[in-house]
Amino acid sequence: MSKTDFDRRIATGLDRGEAFTFTFDGMAVTAYPGESVAAALIAHGRRKFRETLKRDMPRGLYCGMGVCWECIMVIDGRAAVRACMTVAEPGMKVETQHGLGPSPNTAPTEGSAS
Amino acid sequence: MNQADLAIVGAGPTGLSAALVAARAGLKVWVFDDNALPGGQYFRQLPKQFRKTRKTVYDKEHGRASELFTAIHHPNVTYLPNATVWENPDPGILAFAAGERSGRIEAKAILIACGASDRPVPFPGWTLPGVVTAGGLQNLVKGARVVPGERAVVAGNGPLLLVVAANLIRAGATVAAVAEAAPATARLWRNLPRLLQAPEIVKLAVNYRGLMAKAGVPYRCGETVIEARGTDELEEVVLAPIDTRGRLDRTKARTVACDTLVAGFGLNPSIEMYRLLGCDMSYNSYRGGWMPKRSDDLETSIPGIFAAGDGAGIGGVEFALIEGKLAGTVIARNLGALDERTAAIQAAPLRSRLERFRKFRVGLERVYAPPSTWTELATDDTIVCRCEDVSLGEIRAREAQGFTSAFAIKGSTRMSMGRCQGRNCLPTLAAHIAARDGIAVEQVAVPRGRPPARLVTIGDLLQEDLPAPVFPTDPHLPRGEEVI
Repeated sequence: MSKTDFDRRIATGLDRGEAFTFTFDGMAVTAYPGESVAAALIAHGRRKFRETLKRDMPRGLYCGMGVCWECIMVIDGRAAVRACMTVAEPGMKVETQHGLGPSPNTAPTEGSAS
Repeated sequence: MNQADLAIVGAGPTGLSAALVAARAGLKVWVFDDNALPGGQYFRQLPKQFRKTRKTVYDKEHGRASELFTAIHHPNVTYLPNATVWENPDPGILAFAAGERSGRIEAKAILIACGASDRPVPFPGWTLPGVVTAGGLQNLVKGARVVPGERAVVAGNGPLLLVVAANLIRAGATVAAVAEAAPATARLWRNLPRLLQAPEIVKLAVNYRGLMAKAGVPYRCGETVIEARGTDELEEVVLAPIDTRGRLDRTKARTVACDTLVAGFGLNPSIEMYRLLGCDMSYNSYRGGWMPKRSDDLETSIPGIFAAGDGAGIGGVEFALIEGKLAGTVIARNLGALDERTAAIQAAPLRSRLERFRKFRVGLERVYAPPSTWTELATDDTIVCRCEDVSLGEIRAREAQGFTSAFAIKGSTRMSMGRCQGRNCLPTLAAHIAARDGIAVEQVAVPRGRPPARLVTIGDLLQEDLPAPVFPTDPHLPRGEEVI
């Protein structure tokens, strides 16, 4: 099943403004101003946000309110950022977090893939 | 240092209603909230950039919410969004992380109004992407108008399942099953007189059930989720019946294909601030487990520290709004902004409304009393601490080596030492130990809370404008005793 051709946003009675894109592991994802990274990804069926350090288990949004830290991702090179508490921005670079993600001591290089 | 009469932690229904009352009485109030917009979970708002083109069912609380949100614009209120209160360095002082505005505040009174979050109940597969909490689903709908999937199962315990099912149906998702663990329908009639103390809430529930019936969504009582399956994401769930004696019958399990499981096993008060402050706690399984002991004036065991709303014992939004007002009133009185008589006149109708909702709550608690303590669902492979990836099997292996107390399990497995600071796994650990030892959960000694109560970044802390530390010349003397 292709996951890019549908949108799970409820359209009724809402003008979300002008759509923009950010990238998720290099692919373009549509988002609207003010939307969280988690909501935009989930709206397009992208639900696996990270793999755990010890067991490489897939994880995604769980509590949805900033309590559980399950939805952490690498955002603009910074690891362990909660996707549910982070507002999406045009051109933002969002990546699946593997384990702890990149070390804060290794500055992300432009266009690097992880 | 920043000075306030009242520092409120949390800008949900409780915090905002308390702020409004206290500010109107003339108190200087600071409100801290870790969200970008006020409202907490119940009154969670859409992004400011979204524009509503017409009124929809989601706007039914617009009136109450708008009045509440005026609190943050009151001239006596300083409102700090995206702010995390993380430490209580000295009595009456709170440290908060809020980017460039990070700092400390000294307040004559503190109100903890941190609300609640979903009770974590581990079962095999509950960590799969596609499994979300009831609160998480509600927030996606309220805060973004997004649903996480097309075919959902709603399972767990409590009235929130009805709300979740209704929201999924309204959003056009298929709800394949709603599994309520308690025999709620059978208990309904007996408890109806109590429930009718709050007819407005009963009416809501009837509406939700009507919506479910119209959409052909089955509501089964006495059934629970026992497993979620899938490789990288959720693909199906296994549901099994629970008999009237509360026994799980795995032989009669059924499998339901779905891409979303909303697991809602009730709510737990957010207790990390009380643990940090050292408030005396009590335990009430009907109202979400641990909660602070309080006086009739909502004051905790520490004078000047108050607790209200769901964070002080689950009661729902009506409770939260009334308790917030009551807390604002008694604090204003205690600090001399309201005279005794005015405060009593303001408080009397609040207390009588609280009494009415308390009766309703008793009815609700009896209808939805969980049939289980939920420790039987997890297997050795089940993750019980999500942050540190600790399985139940790992805990059992450590227990076999003699690491049996909560402290020893914590120290030997790292359970509760991860990013959530134990907020998501301490209830699980306590329930596990209680079941293992055949004791009540409240008898389990849990590790004390330590700063940071919630995760903060070093970068935020570096923004704090603190005076240079004063070190003692003799390192064996208490800090500050002997100044250089």
